[in-house]
Amino acid sequence: MSEESGTRIFAVVGLFDGARQLVDAIPRVRALNLGRIEAYTPHPIHGIDEALGLRKSPVAGMVLVMGIVGAIAALVLQGWCNAVDYPTVTGGKVLFSWQAFVPIMFELMVLFASFTAGFGMLILLNRLPVFRHPMLLSRSMASITRDKLALAIETRIGEKGAAEIDLDAAREALLASGAESVEVVPFPEPLGPVSSRFVTRAFLTIAVACLVSGFAMYWGVKLFPVLPPMIHMETQPRLDAQAESSYFKDGAGMRPPVAGTVARGHLPYAIKTQDEAAVLSNPLPRTEPVLRRGKKVFENHCGVCHGALGDGVTTLTAAYGAKAANLLTQAFRDYPDGKIYHVIMRGKNAMPSYAADIPEDDRWAVIHYVRALERAQNATDEDLNR
Amino acid sequence: MMGETHALPEALRPPRLIEGSVTPGSLDDQVLQSTERRPPRAWYLAFTFTASLATLGFLLIGYTVYEGIGVWGNNRPVCWAFDIINFVFWIGIGHAGTLISAILFLFRARWRNAIARFAEAMTIFAVMCAGIFPLIHVGRPWLAFWLLPYPNQRGIWPNFRSPLVWDVFAVSTYFSVSLLFWYLGLMPDIASMRDRTKNRFLKVVYAVLCLGWRGSASHWRHFDKAYLLLAGIATGLVLSVHSVVSFDFAVSLLPGWHMTIFPPYFVVGAIFAGFAMVVIALAVMRAAMGFSNLITMNHFDVMNKVILAMACIMGYAYLMEGFTAWYSMNPYVHHTFAAYVWGTYWWLGWLTLACNVLIPQLLWVPRFRRSFPVMIFVALAVTAGMWLERFVIIVSSLHQDFLPAAWHTYMPTLVDFGILLGSFGLFFTLVLLFARVLPVIATSEMKTILPGAQPAREKAAGGGPHE
Repeated sequence: MSEESGTRIFAVVGLFDGARQLVDAIPRVRALNLGRIEAYTPHPIHGIDEALGLRKSPVAGMVLVMGIVGAIAALVLQGWCNAVDYPTVTGGKVLFSWQAFVPIMFELMVLFASFTAGFGMLILLNRLPVFRHPMLLSRSMASITRDKLALAIETRIGEKGAAEIDLDAAREALLASGAESVEVVPFPEPLGPVSSRFVTRAFLTIAVACLVSGFAMYWGVKLFPVLPPMIHMETQPRLDAQAESSYFKDGAGMRPPVAGTVARGHLPYAIKTQDEAAVLSNPLPRTEPVLRRGKKVFENHCGVCHGALGDGVTTLTAAYGAKAANLLTQAFRDYPDGKIYHVIMRGKNAMPSYAADIPEDDRWAVIHYVRALERAQNATDEDLNR
Repeated sequence: MMGETHALPEALRPPRLIEGSVTPGSLDDQVLQSTERRPPRAWYLAFTFTASLATLGFLLIGYTVYEGIGVWGNNRPVCWAFDIINFVFWIGIGHAGTLISAILFLFRARWRNAIARFAEAMTIFAVMCAGIFPLIHVGRPWLAFWLLPYPNQRGIWPNFRSPLVWDVFAVSTYFSVSLLFWYLGLMPDIASMRDRTKNRFLKVVYAVLCLGWRGSASHWRHFDKAYLLLAGIATGLVLSVHSVVSFDFAVSLLPGWHMTIFPPYFVVGAIFAGFAMVVIALAVMRAAMGFSNLITMNHFDVMNKVILAMACIMGYAYLMEGFTAWYSMNPYVHHTFAAYVWGTYWWLGWLTLACNVLIPQLLWVPRFRRSFPVMIFVALAVTAGMWLERFVIIVSSLHQDFLPAAWHTYMPTLVDFGILLGSFGLFFTLVLLFARVLPVIATSEMKTILPGAQPAREKAAGGGPHE
């Protein structure tokens, strides 16, 4: 573009009254080859892009590609979140249950595709925003966005970088092809508060401000998670267990049960001595599930002292100071079930009560199992003959 | 077909979409001047009324957030009530706008051009109203961002198999895409406003808003293609959004919700309710702003036909619901369906049927399709009926669940009603503001259907690909 010559010319613009006149004029003006030609219209006119020799818009391809990218991005995001980084099983399905990811894949495909169609078209293809385009400052613009149509013959950049336009020939050509009036549109002075660069900077500033405040919010929540209003149910009108309360006379927040209340599975046990307990009989049948249950209870609670076989070979060290009974001896084999039950309930010597740890049915199951151990560990040769 | 048009019988001729003589210039003068003049007194009265309602709604929302959602009538087992009813209702209202702007654009239904802008704006405002309800339903709305997959100090992610998370993506995508679609359509119109206005401040605002649109043919080429693609994309989107909303119900195992008919049934219901709302708002706007030459009785006639068709599909869907319940051989589904018909809320079920299926049958009569009192009566009935339908689906199905000991009759509170009214207030406040600030008719789209606008199309008199 030329440097000094007063005003530089952008284009010679002819205004047309109707679409018919414009469409007829385009091939005639184009044939004269006076410079690049461009039409300006208040509404899209079908077929005008072919007449002007414009290429087909590539926006469809862009949209297709970005739609596929969006769908794949959604699949990767969901798969990575729910199957890799924080694996969650939902409804017994496999971790990478892609079927459940389809709705969001569709939505992100739509989002990517439509933003490409919108912003890709405006910014990448149409190079908007431009606020000081020569045409915007021309007198013709007000008619173009209203009801007139314009054909512009633009200045060509010559071989030496100099602007070339034959103003008279262009004006003549436009008038001859039916233009109502012709305007010579110069380039504007490079000035003004609302320059494209200013707007670009303003948008960038807003974007940076959004990012900064977003990060500030993120770190704020992270560093001060329990400041009001983000108290996350930290303070609630609620009494914790064992907490005191001025509401009740005794100052305790928890209420004792009504006198005589019996909890399920905790029937009172009135027998005082082991001999009195001898009359109790085992209510459970000697079946395999009962013995399995008894084995589990024995290994959990009894085996650690009495030995896994009940032979008193303890896993405790001598430092414990007490020696657990060998349950395989004749004395214990002669015990009635009730006496063992009483020991479980009340404890004996150094052995504490297991009433709180072993529920009723498990006590009788473990007695069956002790009997089985006694029989197994005192087997005779005759048993082989069976 | 142009030459042969007059040989066709009256019923087969394309309806006249414009009355009297309209030129591009007179169109701009008529449509754009409403943004340049002071609003009439009636506008101020209407605005005061709707803004008061909106204020009431927001005060009650503030009260809800302060006190907790216990101020609503929701309680087990009816944990979803007005909040989700209103959400589904408003999202549905929005669907008509997208249908008109996108699907009818693909079908080249030229009557859409006059009403598309207004309907799209209603879409955006309706989705804004809808978005409020799930937000306040979570109780602590400032933590709603937990629904989004962002890296957090807890190291956890949303469960993407949950329909509620699908909903977040569907509705936010719907809002963004609708806004983009609306904005793209507005750009050339804002450029016209920029070149009309004498106010220097507004000129800068409009110039920035339209991104310096100059109407060059090389821009229109991309714009036209992108708009067409967006219409195609939005078509898929509008069908998906209410389907995803219906998944909130259909994917659960609750009798009355767990049905495969739900997605199409919801989409049709949404379009139905949306068209009714468009008819009401458009009738008021047309009369108040004097656009009777651009939005003709033919437009209303077509919209009423759509409403009638949708009403018939709704009737079919209701019958299918009954059939599915009967055919399921499942006593729980039988019970839920019986609750619709003669349960606690039986009268709401029958009212729904009357409003959505019976009353719209009036529109079979051509005279009624062109009568404002009748069409507004039908549209109001449909609006009420579609709200009641969501009430029946949600509350009737929930209030008697599997454990009879837990059955509970739901009663909304005044706060519930207040917030519902507030959402209507917000919606119409936004519509009123829009009507004064932006062109309610897409002038650049209208210009494409004025005579002489498309020489290529008119030259192909034997019937171009579009007609």
